Amino acid sequence: MDSLSWLDLLGRLFIQLLPVWVALVAVFAFSIIYKRRLGLYGRLFESTVGMIGFALVMFWVFTALFATLIITHDPLAQFSGMRNAAPGSPVRDPAGGYAYFLLGGDALARDVFSRMVMGAREVLRIAPFAAMISFMIGISLGLPAGYIGGKLDTGLTFIANLVLAFPVILLFFLLVAPEIQNTAIPRVMAGILFLMPVLFFTVLLNARFFTQPMKRNFYVGAVLMIGLWAYSGLAFNADPLGVWGMSPNLLNVFVAVVFVNAPTVFRIVRGITLDIKTRDYVAAAQTRGEGPWYIMLWEILPNARGPLIVDFCLRIGYTTILLGTLGFFGLGVAPESPDWGSTINQGRRLLTVYPHAALAPAVALMSLVLGLNLLADGLREESLKD
Amino acid sequence: MTRKTSKSTPLHRAARLFARECKDGTLSRREFLTRATALGVAAPAAYGLLGLVAPQARAQTPQMGGTLRMQMDIKAQRDPRTWDWSELANVCRGWLEYLVSYERDGTVQPVLLESWEANDDATIYTLKLRSGVTWNNGDVFTASHVAHNIERWCDASVEGNSMAGRMSALSDGGKLREGAVEIVDDLTLRLHLSSPDISIIVNMADYPAAVVHPSFTGDDPVANPIGTGPYRPVSHDTGIGAVIERNPDHTWWNEGNGAYLDRIEFLDLGTDPAAWMAAAEGGEIDMTYQTTGDFVDLFEMIGLPKSEAITASTLAVRFNQTQAPYDNVNVRRALQMAVNNAIVLELGYNDLGTVAENHHVCPIHPEYADIGTTSFDPEAAKAMIAAEGLADHEFELISIDDNWQAATCDSVAAQIRAAGINIKRTILPGATFWNDWLNYPFSSTEWNMRPLGVQVLNLAYRSGEAWNEAGFSNAEFDALLDEANGIADADARREVMAKIQQILLDEGVLIQPYWRSLYRNKRDTILNAEMHPTFEVRYQHYALS
Amino acid sequence: MLVFLARRIGVMLVTALCLTFVVFYLTNIPAKLETLAKTQAGSRISDSEVASWLERNGYNQPMLWRYGEWLGVAPGWTRARDDGTMRGRCYTLTGLAEPGAAPTRCGLAQGYWGNSTRFRAPVSEVIRARLGATGWLMLWVLIVMVPMALVVGVLAGMREGSRTDRALSTFAIASTATPEYVSGVVFIALFASSTVGLSPLLVSWGWIDGPVLFQGNARSALERITFWNFALPVMTVALYGMGYIARITRASMTEVMTQQYIRTARLKGVSFANIVLRHALRNALIAPFTVIMLQIPWLLNGVVIVEVLFSYPGFGWTLFEAAANNDIELLLAASVVAVLVVLITQLISDIGYVYLNPRIRVT
Repeated sequence: MDSLSWLDLLGRLFIQLLPVWVALVAVFAFSIIYKRRLGLYGRLFESTVGMIGFALVMFWVFTALFATLIITHDPLAQFSGMRNAAPGSPVRDPAGGYAYFLLGGDALARDVFSRMVMGAREVLRIAPFAAMISFMIGISLGLPAGYIGGKLDTGLTFIANLVLAFPVILLFFLLVAPEIQNTAIPRVMAGILFLMPVLFFTVLLNARFFTQPMKRNFYVGAVLMIGLWAYSGLAFNADPLGVWGMSPNLLNVFVAVVFVNAPTVFRIVRGITLDIKTRDYVAAAQTRGEGPWYIMLWEILPNARGPLIVDFCLRIGYTTILLGTLGFFGLGVAPESPDWGSTINQGRRLLTVYPHAALAPAVALMSLVLGLNLLADGLREESLKD
Repeated sequence: MTRKTSKSTPLHRAARLFARECKDGTLSRREFLTRATALGVAAPAAYGLLGLVAPQARAQTPQMGGTLRMQMDIKAQRDPRTWDWSELANVCRGWLEYLVSYERDGTVQPVLLESWEANDDATIYTLKLRSGVTWNNGDVFTASHVAHNIERWCDASVEGNSMAGRMSALSDGGKLREGAVEIVDDLTLRLHLSSPDISIIVNMADYPAAVVHPSFTGDDPVANPIGTGPYRPVSHDTGIGAVIERNPDHTWWNEGNGAYLDRIEFLDLGTDPAAWMAAAEGGEIDMTYQTTGDFVDLFEMIGLPKSEAITASTLAVRFNQTQAPYDNVNVRRALQMAVNNAIVLELGYNDLGTVAENHHVCPIHPEYADIGTTSFDPEAAKAMIAAEGLADHEFELISIDDNWQAATCDSVAAQIRAAGINIKRTILPGATFWNDWLNYPFSSTEWNMRPLGVQVLNLAYRSGEAWNEAGFSNAEFDALLDEANGIADADARREVMAKIQQILLDEGVLIQPYWRSLYRNKRDTILNAEMHPTFEVRYQHYALS
Repeated sequence: MLVFLARRIGVMLVTALCLTFVVFYLTNIPAKLETLAKTQAGSRISDSEVASWLERNGYNQPMLWRYGEWLGVAPGWTRARDDGTMRGRCYTLTGLAEPGAAPTRCGLAQGYWGNSTRFRAPVSEVIRARLGATGWLMLWVLIVMVPMALVVGVLAGMREGSRTDRALSTFAIASTATPEYVSGVVFIALFASSTVGLSPLLVSWGWIDGPVLFQGNARSALERITFWNFALPVMTVALYGMGYIARITRASMTEVMTQQYIRTARLKGVSFANIVLRHALRNALIAPFTVIMLQIPWLLNGVVIVEVLFSYPGFGWTLFEAAANNDIELLLAASVVAVLVVLITQLISDIGYVYLNPRIRVT
């Protein structure tokens, strides 16, 4: 069998990614038709930059979602005779599987295309989740620090600056080490860090529905149940049903990434809070006799959402790059894992001869981060138009 | 090349026996040379027994002078007897010399010794020192210096002194045995072994056996470079590089047969071969220390041809039998059956070696018995794993983060996975990996070559041995191994060996995918710098043409 | 101002103390000490040999006590040798062996930074030499990065929404989306490979003598920095850092350009170039200045990657080596340096902000 021509290759890639195109067209059609009713999200479709960014991000989100439909081979399987095969090479012995390596083979004869697609799933599973937890921690601590101030503020700011004074890379070397994994340190840190989101939602709902005990009990109860269930699984690997869980390795990486990101978010939230708390509507709420948590979570936070959403997008991108850095130093993430950082690191050694193995994940990583940055830019522009 | 004279001594009886076996084809030439020279037969004589002429140095004439720049890890120096990396020894080879040396062709050549002789049952060795050797501080090299070194080697109380194990026939209770070394005169000494040991002279060629001056305190041989060789260190920066230059204040005993280069610069460029490649392309290095995988060809492409050494070095992907589920022989055998060694060699090591047979005895070993190997049968493997109730069990294969070792284990894991068995990989950084290397349930370890097949088996698979990482304990195996150790004749030993190898296969001790060839890449202009099977860098003989 | 400085320095010391303790704790957990013993005394030594090595080298005392030794508030460990001479922390550091010759305490307070186990040299020497190397790298990075970022930012920001703005902004965003471990590798492939990229072309045209245009390895820069061996590492760090500063400059510039006084100047008929250079620039550069200073600690990340990638033994490379080999005292010193860099740049950024912006006064 001959290798595929470039045109043929592109056609096959297009067909392989069909589910993604369908989903993208559907989302864009829907969004553009109803953009007037969709608030900030709808206004995103007024800006070209924002739309391009959104399209790039959603491309990878859908790729990750439909990854099992898209891949042509098992991302971990090795095929004899396919070491460093060029893009479009026919598989020597397909045994009923897909007959070509669309983007070639890597140094261990695995399909680069399938690894890139599954890598999207790996990356999008960790980065946004880590950014989200960082945000909840930053918000839960930043709001009171800015709003209440005093000793609490001084203490929290000192701790945040302490973490920020640490070079990120040194922290990773120290925290994401196999020796540390076997100690209680990651578990303890996870125990503290993962508790924050549960507390956040509990307080959030409690403050909102304080006056309606029935509703409150229901919501808070539900949050506590789901939250603590996930918490036991994620932080202590003690989920009785076994739904939630993280390998010690992943937990270690996750905790380190959250730990590094949370202080920056804290500083941003604190700064915005200091600004917003002098506004009239906050004073109005205070005169109404609302509790401090209600004011922080339901008056200040919604008004701070613009810059926070923008930073959230940027932070996902930054976290993606950070995870790649870990891969570069061979820290953290599991071996054989198709995540982009590790695949770039493995492929780069042979870049001058077999560039495809490193370039595919590198382009993927860059386009995702670029998309997130453009999306953030679009959102910023549109939110400033208020 | 090395050209040393040796007085004609009566040939050892066993050496003639070996020569006959070699001519009959039952003993490999390499093995014959190793064993005959170990018994004190000079290399030309050993070649002569086979009716051959000893190979001469290559025709290209070495030129005096020049600088060689070589990529090599520069690790923090320490007491030579505790060296655990060949690189540590290679830096010091220019001034710290050895009593004997192990050559690429398998012979053992005298260096600071002139000759040696063993009695018939290899329990008494008479060592004759080379005369006219001086230390670079002016002292004359004498038998008492050698005795001092042997005493140092025997001291097991020093952490990490690996010579202690090699000299066990001379020691007692972790110290040199009283009366084990007898100084006959200034240039002669006699070793009295507690048991026959034909490997004791070969062991003196091992890299930790560098001969140091009596004034050496046991710390850093670079800081206080008293030695017998023609070079001296100029600088030594751990992790960065080292510079060696010819010592103008010292007359080397082997003047004229080496010390061609003025200066040797070692560059430590980290562990990433891509960085070495970039350095070679930029013209910053002329030679690599060891190249693996794809890089062997890549360096060749940019003008650094490869030099190959065929060895019995390997990667042992072993199970630790003291830990569940690997205490179950069916599990071990099933995992072996799931792996096609030929594919691991292709994908994990770029086909740069030969397929091995899961029993850690190499066809280049004289006593190797061809008994076949485990059959490759992934379906049966899956069924066996399921029968043991482990269908949902996730196995874990641990390896060090070194490039080729990790790739090989990835290949092994991919094969096991392809058979429908769950497995995950774990990679540990070099500094961490060794913390627990003996106790990982399922992991890989690099084993360098030993001239004899029984040597590794003695080290790694005998019950209770310090390096028995497989946790293998089998009384029958131990008894057979003892028997094999006492048989000098390779044919007779092969019969016992067949049984030993069969036990290793039946017990599913390890997955051993391949025997690897070693490579280095160097520019055409560098002479005498072929890859050495035990990674030696004898820059005192290297030259530019 | 003095009170302000004193307080900042006080905070700096407390921060450094806290951080070194964290580093000390994390490098001294038992498994890490075992790693250290194995890297020092031989990777295949037995557990009892590990224990005896740790005992013999003073690692068996309680952790807090040894942290005190490092700080210089607790007396260093000593042990008499068989031959009557002494071994101990202070004996090793001062190079003395006679009993009683060395001081009792020898830590930071006494000016001893300890010995690096990885490099077998005093930590202060190692750090000084490596910081020097990184200093050159950072200097060139700043020389390349800052003007480039400012020019891009100003050009993009002076006419918001124009085609130049779109093009330059996209370039800036793309550069922040390209991490060093991607750009560095791509640069090597493009410029420093004799088989692919530019070099073979240039060689075939006869434009360059050597096999490659740039050196893909910066080791030779340790002795002599040349354009050819330093360009790639500098570009790699600068490119990633540039985008962010350019974007801040652009934002700041667009804001300034909409101010009343600029509008007034334009109405008065002042030329556009004059407006940008004489009126807008100074105000537009306040924000980028603070960002540039705060960016320096962030560059450290890139510096580690680049120094490892190009095998340039600087501070980042040392950090990597120290961490990989669990070189406790070197890591401690490195973290002290890193903390100082972070806090001093923050301080400069604050002071500079005040200096550039006359509306703010330090209280």
